[in-house]
Parts: sequence; structure tokens; C-alpha cells
Amino acid sequence: MKTIQLYTKISIIILLVMVSITASAQAVINPAASDEDVEIGIVEHLDEYLPDSISLVNEQGQQVWLADVIDKPTIINFVYYRCPGICSPLMEAVAGVMDKSDLVPGEDYQVLTISFDPRETIDLGIRKKENYLNLMNNQDKVEAAKTGWLFFVSDSANIIRLTTATGFKYKKTGNDFLHAASLTVTSPDGKITRYLNGMYFLPFEWKMAIVEASKGQSGPTLNKVLRFCYTYDPVGQSYVLNITKVSGTIIMFFALVLLLYLVVKPKRRKLSRMD
Amino acid sequence: MHTTSAVNGANYLTYQGKYRGLLGWILSTDHKRIGLLYLYSIATMFSIGVLLGLAMKFELLAPGKTVMDAQTYNATFTVHGVIMIFMVVIPGLPAVFGNLMLPIMIGAKDVAFPKLNLLSWYLYVFGVVLVLIALFFGQGVPDTGWTFYAPYSFKSGTNLLPAIFGAFVLGFSSILTGLNFLVTIHRLRCPGMKWTKLPLFVWTLYGTAWIQLLATPVVGITLVLVALERTFGVGVFDPALGGDPILYQHLFWIYSHPAVYIMILPAMGAISEIIPTFSQKHIFGYKAIIASTMAIAFVGYLVWGHHMFTAGMSGTAQYYFSLLTFIVAIPSAIKVFNWISTLYKGSINIQTPFYWAISFIFVFMIGGLSGLVLGSLATDIYVHDTAFVVAHFHYIVFGGTGFAFFAAMHYWFPKIFGRMYDKAWANIGWLVFTIGFLALYSPMFYLGMMGMPRRYYDYLEEFHGGNILSTFGSWIMVTGFVIILANLIRSARKGSPAEVNPWKGKTLEWTVSSPPPVLNFDKDPVLGEKDGPYNYE
Repeated sequence: MKTIQLYTKISIIILLVMVSITASAQAVINPAASDEDVEIGIVEHLDEYLPDSISLVNEQGQQVWLADVIDKPTIINFVYYRCPGICSPLMEAVAGVMDKSDLVPGEDYQVLTISFDPRETIDLGIRKKENYLNLMNNQDKVEAAKTGWLFFVSDSANIIRLTTATGFKYKKTGNDFLHAASLTVTSPDGKITRYLNGMYFLPFEWKMAIVEASKGQSGPTLNKVLRFCYTYDPVGQSYVLNITKVSGTIIMFFALVLLLYLVVKPKRRKLSRMD
Repeated sequence: MHTTSAVNGANYLTYQGKYRGLLGWILSTDHKRIGLLYLYSIATMFSIGVLLGLAMKFELLAPGKTVMDAQTYNATFTVHGVIMIFMVVIPGLPAVFGNLMLPIMIGAKDVAFPKLNLLSWYLYVFGVVLVLIALFFGQGVPDTGWTFYAPYSFKSGTNLLPAIFGAFVLGFSSILTGLNFLVTIHRLRCPGMKWTKLPLFVWTLYGTAWIQLLATPVVGITLVLVALERTFGVGVFDPALGGDPILYQHLFWIYSHPAVYIMILPAMGAISEIIPTFSQKHIFGYKAIIASTMAIAFVGYLVWGHHMFTAGMSGTAQYYFSLLTFIVAIPSAIKVFNWISTLYKGSINIQTPFYWAISFIFVFMIGGLSGLVLGSLATDIYVHDTAFVVAHFHYIVFGGTGFAFFAAMHYWFPKIFGRMYDKAWANIGWLVFTIGFLALYSPMFYLGMMGMPRRYYDYLEEFHGGNILSTFGSWIMVTGFVIILANLIRSARKGSPAEVNPWKGKTLEWTVSSPPPVLNFDKDPVLGEKDGPYNYE
């Protein structure tokens, strides 16, 4: 009986500690909602319109207005063409889903890939476009993508206005940029209707986003897992694994002790019930 | 201290102890009264969970917004999941029928630690209250899904901490119940009750207790880590701080997959009691069922990776997890074959519990076989995160555990309340419920195969037909549930008095009066050489 009272006391102490932690822990950070604090990532601007008079340089080297280019549901994709990190897998994912989706680029929707590095020229963009079109298997889609997947560069003033309007936050470090992998979906009249995050897109969510954009309805962000172009920290990983190993060993040890105790210690035949 | 003679004549329902009225219940350490406390609390939570499920199906009646927006839908499926998993199916059979029947079935007066048993119930209630706090206070209802996946769980602006802490406390309740049952089964068996004479329900509770004891601490630690991550940003799971969100999934499923066996093993145990009783025949392959129970309990620890085939894992790891998943299906299949073989040449007595048991085998087989589709690597990639998965686990968790719960309820009801329910209404309730269940979940297999993802409040027009059928199914099923509930509540008070052994069962609970006396047995039971739980010859 004494042991049980001891257990009860210990449990009550643990509970009290946990309650106090809960009570003091109500200040929760939500990066998706508070915008100014976010340095790198996405601040969603759903239902807002893209600004007028943003000029871009297209694959023919001509200066065009973004508002003129957007005449159908449009997916805007920010990368920089020299990017050594997540831009390539992101573009591969875009090529992959365009290939698989039953919607036709250039007809049902278009994808605009825009470099956010003002020093880049469109030559590199054209070469990248050829590379990614080669990844697609469906020849009809490749043909359609030639006019339905457009590549652009621009100058710093226009890039900043456009990335600010879409909430795409990035940071220059040395020669490269830290940024997130995300696509912005807009309706034919330039209203932001959805964000697609991550580096893997299902044909379903692709179609859903485009169908919604064509109606001008905005939808919730499907995948909240943002991928970041960060360097990986192997030290943190090994530390974490040790914790799991240690706690696992402790649990197994106590389980073994309990089993041995129950099996080895002789059974008490008579046990009167306390009430 | 009460002697047996002092309480002769009174049963556990009418017995007057130190406290009167409600206090006599919520301060009672009688395992049967605690079992009923669990039954009432779990039935209440189940009803709330059903209403939330009904609301979700109503939203999916038509594409686009029907009754709720995306955020509300996310919150609804989160709360539905948290309630149904942590508060209904995990405690479900062990806490209700384990408490009510385990000590009687092994010839004991009570569980080994009656006060700890009562504490477990209080922890359960405390956990429930904490989760309710998350619903009504703070910055919105949790919206992460019942799995609390990182990074949602530390990035969501909703009131997650109380919910996480509630799940943590519910885990403690589960651990203490497991510990209590383990010691009870090891220590309090009556003379002659050898391990090879334990009823199979007790054996499954034994396997379950080990899982509760070993796996639950893992989720406890994990939930504490999430709370720390959310509060102090320690960077265990946040990739921006060098953490690993996939690690969360590993830790979570190391508990939550075995938790599926916490749900299903006692369900299998109850079915293993009902089938021989209503076949009036010794259970086929008693030792094979015990071996498969322990095999499930053990191998069940090693298959968690099959929840994460698409989450990023090495090919080698995927092969092993897939192989082990196929292996864990074998003991389940052994049990199904044993139940069917028990029916063969039995003197089958068709009653309500038997209907439930047979339909359990039917839906459990569909659930189990669709699980193999998800356990194979290639097909899982195709149907991962679609309605197919939702259909699969509802067939297992609801069709399996839920049907077994109703089977056990109708089987032990006369013993628990000393009154018999209206059999005709019970059968009607079963029929309506089963038809509704099949109509509700079967279309979701098809919808999932066609590509409809889970956890969306909206869908493309091409999925409309299947969703209409599914929503109609939910209405039929709830009608069945209301019939069952009304019949049982009415019968518990006004049903005709039950016999000692209405189904002619052979386990010890059928030797005591209905409802059982306060101390279970007027005379200490002793099992002779030839006595056994299923000796019908």
C-alpha cells in the first residue's frame, strides 16, 4: 500500500509540473501568419492581386508586362537559374506533374518561371527550359509546354515588387540565395488563389489548384511543409538518435526487470481486498 | 474492510459502501464499478466522435463548401481522430471489459492494485478535460490531424498544447491499466488456473498490457518533445533549427502502430470468447491463438515504418518494413481460420452477439486484406493519403474494434446489468448499423483508388457519386447506433432479469450470479483438472 501512495504522490507532482508548463506556454509562433518576422519562406497573400506594371524579359529578349502575360490560370515559380540547391528538384517536380496531369499547359493553364537573381540573363533560362522539357515523356505535353511554360528574368526593382506581392521571402548569402520551394497560383485576372509548397506535387492538387484559379476562388494551402534551401546539420542528427536509443534502452530495461520480478518472485496465494 | 457475509445478497450495482450515491461510484475501487465508469465515459466520448464524423460526412455530401470551411474541417477531423483514437478505441475494450471481466474470468476478487485502477480512470477523465480545454479556450481548435505531425504541431497557431498534454495524460492512464492487468494476471489467478487454462480474452489482455506498458512511454516522450519544441524551440523536429520532422514520424508510429494492436487484440479476444460459446464447441487451436496473440504483440513493434513509405526512407528500410508488415498479417489470418474452424460442426446458437462476431470477421477480413495493399511498397505509393487509407483503417479500427465492442457489449450485458436486452431490437440495430457501415466506408475504397485524397473539405466533381453514397451510409449507421443505444439503455433499467448463464458459456464469469456479487465469488473458485474455459464435451 505504501508503494501505491508513493506512486500516487509522484504522479501528482509530475502532473503539476506539466500543468505549469502548459500554462506558461501559450505564446505560440505562427510563421505563416505573422509576416514581418519571416526572413526566409512564404508569407501567404491569398486573395490579393498582383501589382500592375511589372515588367519582365521573355525568352525572345522582349520586355513584356506580367499583367499581359497572365491571361489564364497561372502558376508562378521563383528560382534562380544558377541555383545549386533545391531549385532543380523543384523544377523537376513541376516538369513531372505537368507531364502527368491531364490538363494541357498553354491551354488550361500556364507556368511562369521567373529568376529572382537580377544579374541573370535569359540565355541561361532558355537552356534550363530545354533541359526540363527533356524530362517530360509525353510528346504532346512537351509541345504544349513550349508555349505553356515560360521563362523570364527581370531587374531588381521589378523582382522586389513581385516577390513582395507574392510573399516570397529570400536572402542573399555570398553568391547564392537562401529561399523556400513554393509555387504561387493566380487566377486569369492576377488574383493569388493558392500556394503549393514543397517539392512534390500530386496531379490531383495541381488540377484542383488550377480549377480553383480559373473560378477565381481561393483555397487553403494544401501542403504546409516548406522545404528550405539550408545546409544540413549532421551533428544535430546524431544527437537526436542518441536520445531515442537511450530512452529505448531504459524502457526495455525496466520492462525486463518487471517481467523477471513477476516470473521469479513466488506468487502470494491469499490476497485480501482492501476497500 | 468488508467480509463476504456482510455483503451477501447485495450485488455490485446495489451494494452500499462507505459513500452514498455518486460518490459511491466515483470513489469505488471495485473493478466492476470502475469498468462501468469507463463504459459511460467512453460511450459519451464515442457519441461526440460520431457527431463530428457525421458533420464531416455532411460536408463531403457535395463538392465545395457545404457546411464548413477548410479550417473548420481540419479541426473537425483532428478532434474526431483525437477523441476516437485516444479516448475511445485505445482504452475501449481493455478498460471497459478488461476491468469488468478480467478478475472474474481468472477467479480473482479484484485487480492487483484497485486504487491504481481508480487513479487510471481519473487520469482518463483529466486527459479528456484537457483536450476539451483545447477546444473551448485559446487561439482555435487544433488542426494538425490526430497524429500531431511535425512541423504542423509546432507551427500551427491553434491551441495545441492542452491537446498534446491531454494525449500525454491519457497515455499514463493506459500505462497504469496495462501494469495493473499484467500483475493481476501473473499474481491473482485462482488455484488450478494455469496459463494454458486462461480464457483467450485474458490472454489478449495480457499481450495488450505489455504493449501498453512498453510502447506508450515512447509517445509520451515524443509529445513532451513537441511541447518543448513549440514552447522553447529546442530544434529536435524543426528543420530550420537542424531538427528532423521525419524523426517525429518515426517516434510517433513506434507507439501508434503497436497502439493499433492495443485496439484490436482485446477485440480478437472477445470474439474468441463469443465464437465458442455460440458454437457450443471447444475453440479450435487454443494454443495457436495464444501464439498468434503474442506474435502480433511482438512483431507489431517492428512494422511502424509502413506508415512512412512516402515520407523519405532508404530502400532497404522500406523492404524490411514491408516484409514485416506481411508477416504480421499471418497471425491475424491464423485467428480468422481458427474462428471459422470453431464454427465447423458446432451447435450454432444464433443470437445478437453471434451476429456481431460474424460481421466482425467479415469486416475485419476486408480491412486486413486492404491493409496488404497498403503494406506493399508499389501499391502504397499509389493510394497513400487517399480515401482508400481512411476506408482501410475504419474497417479495422471501427469495423474491428467497434464491432467487437458491440459484440462484447451484447455478450456480457446480461452479466453486467443482470437484465436481458430486447433481442429483436438488438438484431434490428445490428442489421441497420452494419448496412450503414458498409455503405459509409466501402465507397471510400473506390474513391481512394480513383485518386480522392483524404483530409480535404473539397473534392473534384468526378468524386461526387461515391461521396453521396458514403454520406447516406453515415446516416443509416447513426440510425442503427441510436437503436442499439436506446435498446441497451432501456434494457439496463427495465429488461427482464437475466439468468446466471444465458448463453451457456464455460468461463468463470458465467458461474456467478448476474450481476456479480461485490467480491465476485461467494466461494473461492478452484479449477479442477478437467475444467477449462471451452470444455463443452
